[in-house]
Amino acid sequence: MNRFARRLAWSAVVVWAAVSVAFALNTLLPGDPARMVSGPQARPADVARIREQLGLDRAPLVQYARFWRRLVHLGPRVVERDGAPEHAGCVAVLPLGPSAVHVSLGKSFQMRQPVVEIIAVRLPRTLALAVAGLLVQLSLGVAAGTFAAVRRGAWIDRALVGTSLLGVSAPTFLIALLLQYVFSRQLRWLPLDGFGSTLADHARCLVLPALTLGIYGAAFYTRLVRDEMLVLLRQDWVRTAYAKGLPRWQVVVRHGLRNAAVPVVTALGLDFGSLMGGAIVTETVFRWPGLGELSVRAMLDRDGPVVCGCVVVTAVAIVATNLAVDLVYARLDPRVTVPRAPRTR
Amino acid sequence: MLDSRAFGRFARSPSGVAGAAIVAALITFALLGPALAGHGPLDSDFARGMGPGGMPVGPGAAFPLGADRLFRDVFARLATAGRLSLLIATAATLIAAALGAFVGIVSGWYEGARVPVPWPAAIGVATGLGALGLGQRGVAAIAAGAGLAAAIWRRSPGPRVDLDALLMRLVDAMLAFPFLLLVMAVGAALDRTSALTMLVTLGATGWLGIARLLRAKTMQVRALDYVEASRALGQSTGQIMLRHVLPNVAGPLIVTATVQVAQMIVADSVLSYLGVGISPPTPTWGRMLLEGQDYYLAAPWLVAAPGLAILLAVWGFNMLGEGLRDAIDPREA
Repeated sequence: MNRFARRLAWSAVVVWAAVSVAFALNTLLPGDPARMVSGPQARPADVARIREQLGLDRAPLVQYARFWRRLVHLGPRVVERDGAPEHAGCVAVLPLGPSAVHVSLGKSFQMRQPVVEIIAVRLPRTLALAVAGLLVQLSLGVAAGTFAAVRRGAWIDRALVGTSLLGVSAPTFLIALLLQYVFSRQLRWLPLDGFGSTLADHARCLVLPALTLGIYGAAFYTRLVRDEMLVLLRQDWVRTAYAKGLPRWQVVVRHGLRNAAVPVVTALGLDFGSLMGGAIVTETVFRWPGLGELSVRAMLDRDGPVVCGCVVVTAVAIVATNLAVDLVYARLDPRVTVPRAPRTR
Repeated sequence: MLDSRAFGRFARSPSGVAGAAIVAALITFALLGPALAGHGPLDSDFARGMGPGGMPVGPGAAFPLGADRLFRDVFARLATAGRLSLLIATAATLIAAALGAFVGIVSGWYEGARVPVPWPAAIGVATGLGALGLGQRGVAAIAAGAGLAAAIWRRSPGPRVDLDALLMRLVDAMLAFPFLLLVMAVGAALDRTSALTMLVTLGATGWLGIARLLRAKTMQVRALDYVEASRALGQSTGQIMLRHVLPNVAGPLIVTATVQVAQMIVADSVLSYLGVGISPPTPTWGRMLLEGQDYYLAAPWLVAAPGLAILLAVWGFNMLGEGLRDAIDPREA
């Protein structure tokens, strides 16, 4: 429990540091958000007024302190759009007597909307894409990896391993363009990009981005499962299982795959964390309005509060899944750690 | 490291040989391509490049890989962009490898220990951060620089800091930050136009995985007897790191760096594709793809050429890395 508390404390430090980096970047970057908001034709006096409204005239340290003080605080029970300006970017999450607990990441410079609301709209979309993408890559990767391991050394094994390296080498936007060409331009089965307006539309629009993420990620899982299964299938208990007359697929599934689940679940957890920050490239190519697409646009628009908000969500997601995976893993198998490098999708 | 036996293992690894061949072909293409092309990468040839209906002509005698929408030679642009892309990826990887090796070795060496930081350095860093927060960038730079200079000049013992924990939490925090956003932000801070800013940006953000790997390797090496022996013989910590630790972690470093080149090529082309890479008209593979994708039904070569180039380059370096891993570190294969 002590170990857990320490891990938790360090996780909080990492989130704090990531958000601080985001904050520092926002203040250090060249360019003037007030000028971006007011437009190129605005008079200097107007630019100054907007700068004051956005709180950009204060020293960065003051803005920074204000950001954290504002993150969770108490305020009136109902937040009115045109109410008190100090609660303009707030969302009341938990009523508490006459007042309520407010959560605020500030107000977007460009969209004039509380950042919490903007993120709340987009988070489910990114979640849907992450889950769908992970499902695709899991099923593709486990199937190919198992197959390659069972047929070790055969041409199909070499082909699958070679293809997986090719898959790792294909940037997501290449996969995306290829899928768009085949399924949207040629076959006309699925929409090219976008989000749609009905639930069925959303589902149809989700297929290609999910496939893109899945194909890209499956390559990694193929290798992981194959390497794991090669070790597992050499174990004595597998020979015993064959000896007592179990059919091959039962040996592979029950005595092999089940034991390979631990590293796969670990990798899945870590992937989920990084996907929750938004698959920036995939979302941009398919115009899927999730967090990744939001964060890129906010960065280009110098919309500081939105960038910070996206970083908060990403950092919390990554740190939380890392923590969860560590805890689950420590319980299941205290020996191994899975190192990962940052990937671009 | 790469002795004759390791070379034999590399030569027997099919992916290593194929990767080396692809990489060699790419380098040749990038070096000789611009000279072989009949056109400059930025020259529009309206006379021969324009086909019927104002569309660019396809691959043929005048343009080996066709012409683009502005009737420029795709072959020349591809080679010029490749030269740039390979240069950026390699240089960025060198920066990232140097940074990652430094942080990883220092972190791994001091793991579990508290390191005294000289007072001037501590005060300089603190003042620098404070001044940065108050919006005094000039003061911040002067304070941090003066602190560092004073620290190097006079080594006075100061507060003891868990350097390893500090560095690793920094790595964790940067890993928890969306990688592309980080690159875009650093790129924007550096004005994000030239190849130089591009490679500095990628190098400054790409060292995290290398640092983690080398920290683990350093912790293995520092426990070995000959490190103890060289310390008993009176070598300083810096000497031991350079002469004993670095050579022993060089194998994994080279393997990771090779794969990292592939990642850098991806990152570079992704940034260009998203429109935040090197500014036009300088050709880049990512930007050529972006500009070509609207015409890929009428002019498929506009997408196929840069797309295949990116795929081949990344694949080649990945396979080369795999072959090197088989050769250098056979146990981990």
